[in-house]
Amino acid sequence: MTQVKAWAGYLLPKLGQFLFVVVATYTLVFVLVHFLPGDPLIAALAAKGGASTVIDPAELDALRVQYGLDGTLWQQYFGHLIAAAQGDLGVSISTGVPVTEMIARAFPFSVQIASLALLFGVTSAVLITFLAYAAPWPWLRQLLLQVPPFGIAVPAFLSGLLLISVFAFTLGWLPSAGARSFDAAILPAITLALPVGALFFQVFSSAVLEAQNSPYVFTAVAKGVPPRRIFTKHLLRNALLPSITILGLLIGYLAGGTAVVETVFSRDGIGRMTVNAVLARDINVIQGVVLVVGAIYALVNLLVDVAYGFIDPRTRIGGGVPSRARLGAKK
Amino acid sequence: MTNLRKPGFVLGLIVIALAIVASLAPQLLATHDPFESVATDRLLPPSAQYLFGTDNLGRDLYSRVIYGAALSLLSASLAVVVGVVVGAVVGLISGFVGGRTDFIIMRFVDVLIAVPGVLLALIVVASLGFGPVSLALGVGLGAAGSFARVMRSQVLRIRSEEYVEAARTLGVRSPAILVQHVLPNAARPVIAMAALEMGTAILSVSALTFLGFGAPPPAPEWGALVSAGRDYVATNPGLSIIPGAVILVVVLAVNRVARAIGGDE
Repeated sequence: MTQVKAWAGYLLPKLGQFLFVVVATYTLVFVLVHFLPGDPLIAALAAKGGASTVIDPAELDALRVQYGLDGTLWQQYFGHLIAAAQGDLGVSISTGVPVTEMIARAFPFSVQIASLALLFGVTSAVLITFLAYAAPWPWLRQLLLQVPPFGIAVPAFLSGLLLISVFAFTLGWLPSAGARSFDAAILPAITLALPVGALFFQVFSSAVLEAQNSPYVFTAVAKGVPPRRIFTKHLLRNALLPSITILGLLIGYLAGGTAVVETVFSRDGIGRMTVNAVLARDINVIQGVVLVVGAIYALVNLLVDVAYGFIDPRTRIGGGVPSRARLGAKK
Repeated sequence: MTNLRKPGFVLGLIVIALAIVASLAPQLLATHDPFESVATDRLLPPSAQYLFGTDNLGRDLYSRVIYGAALSLLSASLAVVVGVVVGAVVGLISGFVGGRTDFIIMRFVDVLIAVPGVLLALIVVASLGFGPVSLALGVGLGAAGSFARVMRSQVLRIRSEEYVEAARTLGVRSPAILVQHVLPNAARPVIAMAALEMGTAILSVSALTFLGFGAPPPAPEWGALVSAGRDYVATNPGLSIIPGAVILVVVLAVNRVARAIGGDE
């Protein structure tokens, strides 16, 4: 019973936070769209038909109703919020297709490269950290630890175009564009993995190094435990918490990165869809995408919090750094 | 100035100096007119005459990169200024006023940090229209959240310092305390962070110009140069890879110098 209570006390505020972030993201987008100068519908129509497009007022009003841009700001704010909660994100101004449908169609393509990128990035970060840990010479260790963070500074269009030029055009191993086959996902995933892996590496390797200097690792080394076992048993376990925490941040990076990567590789997906929507000034689509991405980001952070509660029970009972007295009292 | 003995730092300073010269007085570094096309010299490889080669219209790529520095770096700098000013003001007010105002402001800052910066920039660009200024506003707004957080934590730290208490006891008014005591003491970490943000801003701005949201076509913005060269990546990869590499070198240089400013060695 106390277990359930502790979990409820731990999770309910997190759940509230999740809902707040989603609603606040919606509000932020709404405020930006409606309070920045310019009429979104007129801008979209001008992008569609050229700057000299003439629309008569009656038709404009009809279009406003069609795209859900009519009524007072309050009506729009709450109307769209309630509709969004029911899964209706409005209709695209440039294509006339429901936004939910567009997102659902593009989503799997982006998830494919994003999850592959996460896999590549995390695996190579762990591998490089292990190599640095096991490196027999200090200079090699320094090299292995100091080079990966540069991945953050490489623009995605540069790494993407380099990969295309080498692996698609010079060697002819992989396709340069498209989203039809699994092969086509490899180069975009590597491009996306570079900054994501670099970011993960920074957190992971410093957590491992910190654990390496701890007394229990000193004891294990003194006992003669083989290095690989120390790495998996002691270092990996202790690096788990900070590594999981950064997952949420990585999702944000991935969401932003797909815009460039999918454009470089001419792939369908959320990123390219968003870019096209911005080019068409299609505010309904952009709003929908930001809301969905914001919700996913908040969901990942919620899951991270739950995972935290499982991995480290102290965060669950105390809600913060546990004091010695409280831990003692529980016994 | 022990930094001056480190080759990486010195190299970074040289690259930044060159980038600044290229932005302020491009004619000093350029070898050709960046807009002049020579019909007979299309898609040439790098040579002594054309250092980076020529593009599909026979324009000198090197000179275009040099002339592109102004727009690209100006947008990035403006973005950092917007981020720092908006973030600092919000953080300063939030931390200094405290209480319920602080709580409400910080929840909005949480959201600003939660939405990926690129998406935030895209909303601003889609609402305001394309161009270097709206790009800078979008990227800057995306960075403002973290600046607000740092500024607030600094203010909270300084607010309880003895000299602030002393000033208050002596009857100095709040705005004066804010300007004379809190701001100067909170500035250093914020400036260090702003220096680091510059590299990120250059990357974001070039990514957005690559996507086509910057100044209209003839302008030689760096991201736009990479994008224009994309169509020739099969035959002339240098056309997009060289401007991309220039962006990388400048970002690395800025990050290296920024780390030294932050004292993170």
